[in-house]
Amino acid sequence: MAARPSRPRLLLRHATLVAVSFVMLLPFYWVMKTAVTNENIYAYPPGIVPRDPHLFNFVDVWYLIPFPRYLLNSIVVSAIAVAGNVVLNAMAGYALTRQFPGRRAVLALFLSCMLIPFQATIIPAYLITAKMGLLNTYFGLAFPMLSTIICIFVFKAAFEAVPRSLIDAARLDGLSEWRIILRVLLPLSKPAIATNVILSFIWSWNNFLWPLLITRDPTMQTLPLGLARFLSYMEDTTGALYAFAVLVLAPSVLVFLMAQKEFIRGLTSGATKG
Amino acid sequence: MTAGKGWWGQRRNRQLTLIACFLLPSLAIFFLYRILPLGWNVILSFESWSPLKPAAWVGFEHYVEMWSYDDVFWVSLWNTLIFIAASPLVIAAALGVALLVNSDLRGASVYRTIVFLSYPLMTVAVGIIWRWMYDERGGIINYALRASGLVDGPVGFLQSFDWALPSVIFAGVWQTIGFYMIILLTGLQSIPQNLYEAARIDGAPAYARFFRITLPMLRPSIFLCVVVGILNSFTSFDLVYIMTNGGPGHATELLITHIYKSAFEQTKFDYAAALTVVQFGLLLLLTYAANKAAGGNAGAVEQD
Amino acid sequence: MTREAGIATWLTSRWFIVPAVFSAVTLGWLAYVSAHDNGLIDGRVVDAKGDPVAGATVQLFERGFVTHEQRGRAVTDAEGRFRFTDNRSHSIQLEAEAPGLGRTDRRILRLWFAAQDAVLPEPLRFPTAP
Repeated sequence: MAARPSRPRLLLRHATLVAVSFVMLLPFYWVMKTAVTNENIYAYPPGIVPRDPHLFNFVDVWYLIPFPRYLLNSIVVSAIAVAGNVVLNAMAGYALTRQFPGRRAVLALFLSCMLIPFQATIIPAYLITAKMGLLNTYFGLAFPMLSTIICIFVFKAAFEAVPRSLIDAARLDGLSEWRIILRVLLPLSKPAIATNVILSFIWSWNNFLWPLLITRDPTMQTLPLGLARFLSYMEDTTGALYAFAVLVLAPSVLVFLMAQKEFIRGLTSGATKG
Repeated sequence: MTAGKGWWGQRRNRQLTLIACFLLPSLAIFFLYRILPLGWNVILSFESWSPLKPAAWVGFEHYVEMWSYDDVFWVSLWNTLIFIAASPLVIAAALGVALLVNSDLRGASVYRTIVFLSYPLMTVAVGIIWRWMYDERGGIINYALRASGLVDGPVGFLQSFDWALPSVIFAGVWQTIGFYMIILLTGLQSIPQNLYEAARIDGAPAYARFFRITLPMLRPSIFLCVVVGILNSFTSFDLVYIMTNGGPGHATELLITHIYKSAFEQTKFDYAAALTVVQFGLLLLLTYAANKAAGGNAGAVEQD
Repeated sequence: MTREAGIATWLTSRWFIVPAVFSAVTLGWLAYVSAHDNGLIDGRVVDAKGDPVAGATVQLFERGFVTHEQRGRAVTDAEGRFRFTDNRSHSIQLEAEAPGLGRTDRRILRLWFAAQDAVLPEPLRFPTAP
């Protein structure tokens, strides 16, 4: 930004950023170190590097708690949420690119809904879900997350970026509305689809409060609930809890590293539009 | 469709039906899980109700109880305000990082990824990690403090009335600072470079360029960060629930954890609804104030 | 972009490669597990001098939540070998006992998956006779 910075200032910048990065990465290191530690993790002083590291804590997590069950539940709920988000958001996003009476009202409604945090709705949301008989079901777990306002706007922006002339040409060729969406708009909006998949996956994968409210049945619990349960029920001195945390974090870190660009685009486009 | 073929035959009507069908599922979800709960909360807060007894109108009874008899409410309100008040500091720090990363520094994208890496993590796991970081025996923070001779004995960060809230806030900062940085970075990159060129030709010093160009142009991004900071007082439920569950005593109780406990542990749904109304009102009030401070129309609806 | 080129770019993108590698590794692992989960545990028992002990009783303990439970017994043959055929656990302890020789230490054996076929790397060794 400034004119070419002098060498000491450049070094100072790097030093500051390295220090920040150190603070940001330290917890990752500490939890991974604990996850592979072999001895009593409460022994003082804790070693900075693990002595005789091993991976058997991960095996313990798999068998000592119903980890495969939690994993299955999390995957099913996330899959429903991702599918719902892509389909419903694309539909709503497309509708918002068209002119229709009441469009301004719908836009205003969406934007004001963005200001209502989900946490502020938990009591009636719980009662509504209970009335619909969806407690302890996969669909009930995914239902409130099936459509996301930010992602609707991501789709809307992507569809609006498609050149008008292309759509008009397709319409002149006699393609129906459906065909235009499936053959013209969606193939040109792949980044928006990717953004939708990633955001909705990460949000539903990490969601804790909603499953906490509506699942009473241990066989329907998802990974974050399993993690919280493990924390409150087990007093153990092995690194199993931290191995569990590493296992749970791995998918979202992997998806994030794979799709950082799409992820950031989703967050910031929602941000600049809001 | 009750209308005949003539109505359906019109292209415009067909399109409107399609648009309505496309919008309806999303609108239904937002109605069911955003609008309806909001209204229901307000009604419930004036009623005496529990799952086993019929609703009865009690007017402001819950609010009076909250105001005069519920000490936990005041503690959690205060803690929530502290939580929100911490966010400007975080935003300032994030702005610093964003400015450093925004330059044509070599490796800037690596630093950016590292700072942002903690944001998409599961908050429950973040809570567990930080509980462990703060642990008296196995935690690295205590170890570092003791090994460097700064403290004599272990510090129970999450067990101490003085340290618990700052500790939880710091864990939250660790997770969200990357998000603020990304928002501010996007804002920084949208500032036209020729403004800086002009200022440089005029001989404006660096701090003047920062206060005259960068900050004013960043106003919408900063406003957004402030709103997210306010919303965080709601969304930090997971972190507090895992790290301290409101303890010790009520030292880290936030309004949202108080709401959760009232509703789902003490089955006082009606009272919890009143608490929710208060917190949501607080959120609207603060957002409105932030909007005013940011110049009035920072969050304006797009006008197309 | 032609259809073939589109498929080629899709196949080489990280969106395809990462899940494909992940699924391949998972399937390979599951195949390996299903071929090696017969619950066989082989080992030997020796005395302090390293000679095989015949007729020693070996007990197998299975890890529960906080305790270890005794789950099986086997007797060593003339060469000091024993074999368990029905281990169901992923974390076990083994201990041998023989008249006149006392008990060995409990040996922890951790497996990569439940009922993994395994060979005890070091024989169970009785302490020096009193």
